[in-house]
Amino acid sequence: MSYMSAVDVKARKKALKKIERAFSKLVKDILSGKAPTLVIRKRTLANTVFDAERGLLRIGNATLRRSFLNAGEAKKFMQTVLIASIIHEALKNDEYPTIRDLYYRGKHTIRFRDLVTSRIREENTWDEQKESDSVIRDLEVLIDMLREEMLILSKEKGKVVGDMRIKSGDDIIDLSKMGHGAYSIEPTPDFIEFKDVNAEFVLVIEKDAVFQQLHRAGFWKKYKALLITSAGQPDRATRRFVRRLSDELGLPIYILTDADPYGWYIYSVFKVGSITLSYESERLATPSARFLGVSMIDIFGSDKLKKKPYLTEAERKNYIIKATDTDIKRAKELKSYEWFRTKRWLEEINIFLKKKAKLEIEALTSKGLRFLMDTYIPEKIETGDWIA
Amino acid sequence: MASEATAEKFRALTPSEFFYRNRELAGFSNPARALYQAVRELVENALDATDPHGIHPTIKVILQKVSAERDNIFSISVEDNGIGIPSAQVPRAFGQLLYSSKYVLRQTRGMFGLGAKMAVLYGQMTTGKSVEVLTSTITAKNIYYFNIAIDVKTNTPIIHEKGVYRKNNGWHGTVVKLYLEGDWTRSKSKIYEYLKRTAIIAPYAEIVFEDPDGTITYFERSTRKMPPPPREVKPHPKGVDIEMMKMMLKATKAKTLLEFLIKEFQSIGEVTARRLIKNAGLLPDMKPHELSTEDVERLVRVIKSDTKIKPPSANHLSYVGEEIIKVGLKAILKPEFVTAVTRKPSVYEGHAFIVEAGLAYGGEIQPEDRPVLYRYANKIPLLYDEGADVARKVVDRIDWSHYGVTFPAPLVILVHICSTKVPYKGVGKESVADVPEVEHEMELAIREVARRLKRYLSKKKREREEAERAVAIAKYIPDVARGLAKIVNNVKEEMIEKELLKMLNMKLKSFKINSVSDVVVSIE
Repeated sequence: MSYMSAVDVKARKKALKKIERAFSKLVKDILSGKAPTLVIRKRTLANTVFDAERGLLRIGNATLRRSFLNAGEAKKFMQTVLIASIIHEALKNDEYPTIRDLYYRGKHTIRFRDLVTSRIREENTWDEQKESDSVIRDLEVLIDMLREEMLILSKEKGKVVGDMRIKSGDDIIDLSKMGHGAYSIEPTPDFIEFKDVNAEFVLVIEKDAVFQQLHRAGFWKKYKALLITSAGQPDRATRRFVRRLSDELGLPIYILTDADPYGWYIYSVFKVGSITLSYESERLATPSARFLGVSMIDIFGSDKLKKKPYLTEAERKNYIIKATDTDIKRAKELKSYEWFRTKRWLEEINIFLKKKAKLEIEALTSKGLRFLMDTYIPEKIETGDWIA
Repeated sequence: MASEATAEKFRALTPSEFFYRNRELAGFSNPARALYQAVRELVENALDATDPHGIHPTIKVILQKVSAERDNIFSISVEDNGIGIPSAQVPRAFGQLLYSSKYVLRQTRGMFGLGAKMAVLYGQMTTGKSVEVLTSTITAKNIYYFNIAIDVKTNTPIIHEKGVYRKNNGWHGTVVKLYLEGDWTRSKSKIYEYLKRTAIIAPYAEIVFEDPDGTITYFERSTRKMPPPPREVKPHPKGVDIEMMKMMLKATKAKTLLEFLIKEFQSIGEVTARRLIKNAGLLPDMKPHELSTEDVERLVRVIKSDTKIKPPSANHLSYVGEEIIKVGLKAILKPEFVTAVTRKPSVYEGHAFIVEAGLAYGGEIQPEDRPVLYRYANKIPLLYDEGADVARKVVDRIDWSHYGVTFPAPLVILVHICSTKVPYKGVGKESVADVPEVEHEMELAIREVARRLKRYLSKKKREREEAERAVAIAKYIPDVARGLAKIVNNVKEEMIEKELLKMLNMKLKSFKINSVSDVVVSIE
């Protein structure tokens, strides 16, 4: 008898079939004397398109042809076949490898003779995990499946609490009964079934520490919210989970990050997708997500928009951190991205470049947890003071 | 006036006395140089007694210290399997200067046949010992032994001892043994270098050398092919000046000017002869001795400026030839690549000459900061005065990077000039002068072998790159085959491996991979 959940069994069958189909074609080519070539859409900045209408990043149509009989491409070709065969085997054996596992399973040493010098040399199939990670992404694009759908796990990073019941595997989980802890968003959020929900909005917080403070202070109960943290740069599971909350439950998504280019980019990854994984945006991006703060205008105010700052002159002096050269450089890069070239965002970035100042969300809890929980967040949501 | 006085003084000396007083002219300036020079002269005589006569040389050189007490007195013995010397001529051949069989008009190694006698004279001078000669011609029934000294005052041979032995085997050749003062320590490297370079240019010879330390070196015969023997030849018209033309006109038996030009010169047929006569404003029927000085001057001028006369034939010049040069360089230097070129005959100041160039690259040759140059004139290695030689100038002028060579590189260039008159620089005869025609020929020859090297290097580079590309693919075949066989049902790993290798081999031009296991040793 099997102890595996029904969704996993189904997922395995589907993934096995897709991998087999792609590589059967390759074998057929080889046996009929045709040079084996993998055609994969390019995962480069140049082949990343911002779909303004749908508000997300998409992978373009440019493809790369990886031919085994081309010396410059042979190794990548081998690595792609290798990773596919390892994943295929893991699926067949009912395993749940992590990307780290896959790296170790595929890593071995080829001892070969250099025909020029006749010396025996050694080479590893790959040396670093980023090499195996890269061909995993190629395989995702090649067979049009996310690695989670192939039952490949990664470390859980995102957490969620709130008045909501979900089915994960064969269990029902009540997200309002997590105590001081929270539910770790599983790497395969597509297999989660939403049961019932009692919430009016979703608040996503970059910082885990701030998430914990708001959770313990009962923020989600008081304001009927689902509280989520990405604990820094969001992983794919957290992004997919947020997207499903938006799509399937129609909840507005508010994102709270540090006031710096790093925080802005976290928001943009949630909203439009990331450049390196643009092929996944269709399923991971949440174009309706709103940037709640902390904004430059929250810190400095704006005469033009007739907005007062949330911080006093003295508080600013204490909380503001001087921007580094890297921050400035990053801000200038963001300014060149099409999806940041809106009036409101250019304003934000320009204030930052002018003041050369950044601020962490923790600064607001320093001013007072109550201020953050009962003034800053509710007031901004109520008055529509966000950037769309 | 001065020259007359000098000539007068020369007449007062016998040639023996003259060379006795001016021995540095012949290369016997000090004990080290003398030892080297003596070896060289005797070896060259041995070669001249063999290869021009179609005999594959076998030469044995033994250099020994005569006594333990005096470490500067040596004996040199050189034995050849040549044509031998008729017994009647032996005393004068070794005991009288300026007597030589080499007074014929053809190219030989030595110019005056003087060297060996200088060695005898030098040996007699420094040790008081006379020369011993053992010789027999091919047809002689006896072997003759002589012990001869030179009477310096009268330039005549003194026979101390003579012996005649019945020959009961087919031996022919000559053994010369003489004693002299020398310096082995300081001449050792030059003597070895000389023998090595001789072995390169004459790979059809076998040479055995026993040195004073008892070390025996054997230079094996690596080919039986020999260069064409030098022959006498009629003069080429461009090499004849007014004075010589006058002498030839006087001496000829031809009845008419037309007949004279056709009979006495090479490269002139009736058409050419008639053209030259017409252009000089002369008549074909004129009797040769009737030409005035002005006529002769005009004729020589017309010949010099005529551009249609065929270049001199190479028949009388004994060039070594591309094949023998290659064999020699290969046998001694063991290079990775070797090539050689023999240029067409050319003329400088009326003298025919041929330039040959050889090139050896890689293999056991040690890399140096510039090309190593082996110079030869009439098959004699030139070891001294390299910096003054026109060949060095040409080699240094070439931008070798243009030919794919970056120094330090293992590159040896051989340059050989053969001519009835090599344009030596100075009396030492160790370097060739900057004669424009010679320089030009050398440059063409060296550039030709350099171009061949470039072609070889770029072909090798292409092949290396192809091999690298092939390995870059082949080493992954097992992993790809195994991976695909695991994913796809009912396909054998070996089958995929075979097909991938087949496709890879179809792309390869310079070689094929027989089996994946030739490349992939193991997968761990």
